[in-house]
Amino acid sequence: MNIKTSYSVNQNLDAAVKEICSGLNEIKPKAVLYFASSNFDPDKLSNKIQTALGDALVFGCTTSGEITSGKMLDNSVVAMGFNSKVIQDIKIEVLENITNDSKGAVEKAFKSFENHYGTLMSNLDAVKYVGIILVDGLSGAEERIMDRIGDLTNVPFIGGSAGDDLKFKQTHIFANGKAYSNSAVLALIKVGVPFDFIKTQSFKPLNKILTATKVNEASREVIEFNNRPAVQEYASALGIQTEKASEHFMTNPVGLMVGDDPYVRSPQQVNGQSMIFYCNVHEGTDLTLLQSDNIVEGTKKDLKEKEQEFGKFSGIVNFNCILRTLELKQKQQTDSYGQLFSEIPTIGFSTYGEEFVGHINQTATMLVFK
Amino acid sequence: MAGVIKKMLDEIIAKRSNGNITMMNLTKTKLILKGLNPDKFSVTSEDDPAMIQKIRLAAQEMGVSI
Repeated sequence: MNIKTSYSVNQNLDAAVKEICSGLNEIKPKAVLYFASSNFDPDKLSNKIQTALGDALVFGCTTSGEITSGKMLDNSVVAMGFNSKVIQDIKIEVLENITNDSKGAVEKAFKSFENHYGTLMSNLDAVKYVGIILVDGLSGAEERIMDRIGDLTNVPFIGGSAGDDLKFKQTHIFANGKAYSNSAVLALIKVGVPFDFIKTQSFKPLNKILTATKVNEASREVIEFNNRPAVQEYASALGIQTEKASEHFMTNPVGLMVGDDPYVRSPQQVNGQSMIFYCNVHEGTDLTLLQSDNIVEGTKKDLKEKEQEFGKFSGIVNFNCILRTLELKQKQQTDSYGQLFSEIPTIGFSTYGEEFVGHINQTATMLVFK
Repeated sequence: MAGVIKKMLDEIIAKRSNGNITMMNLTKTKLILKGLNPDKFSVTSEDDPAMIQKIRLAAQEMGVSI
């Protein structure tokens, strides 16, 4: 066994750490990725897990719910250990003060990666290397970070925005035995086994285009769609009263279409006649109105298709949007969703945003290992 | 004049991908996420100076000389 998972629902921090780490040490992990409820003391948790795992390189973040093989959990810690057959080499960098200078922070981290691997990031082989990104989910810096990463390398970075159990006060990322806010952690991994990605969102495109004709990108605000007040045009496209618009945000987000593949942009709230989104919308962008579909069935189909194409999975890291989790809870489908991963070593968490090529919403991005 | 925008975007994709189809699709996706959708422009699209400047800046940030 090269990948091993463990989890603990014990609310005592010392007992949870012991339970987590005793399950992982048997594979002598080179690296450990973990996701923990924000209800644990972040500084103590990060310090104790790193201490307990000794030489392993340990990183993670806080969540709004956790996922492990067969289960969706709350108030727990989930962890995945990788031995040196899976992770041949790994370098971690923490990007601090990302709200001030996220681009500069990415460039500094990339210099460190280049020194470590002895290769320019622009020359790294995207088949042998993968990046994991965990970022403060309240920073609003995800687009800038992902944009700069994409500028500088073809190596895919996948990950999620840390949560805080829907308190929306403070999220943390973990690295070096410490907990950080207003920060991101980037892990650049030389992978020893085949790996691939799943990006799944359960929506059908409707035949309605909303062009963002006036926006405030900094505040993730769309002021006008199709040269009309955004909320009016959104409601009109759905054939509903403007006052009812926010009731449809979860089931009818919009998608930036790349071919048939939507990069979902989820409306968060109405602000006057404008709409605030959970991620950035560029002026002039054509967005397709979407209709929600069955998350469990959609994810099951995408997992099956990937497995047929790629082969049997030895591990999955699942970055699953909190809005998907809330919908699964509302429909009492969390058990069914967890069961999709019951036969596969899996960890994941409910995120405040998903990262893959860019920053997206209402999606699950998954890193899968053969 | 027309068609410069399409030509510039195609050139960015070609230079970043070196003929690799996966990288071509990846670069196209990155451009779309930046608000620069190559499919929205053709050889007859008007040469909008503001858009040309935006693409020039994107190319520079991506390390592509066009």
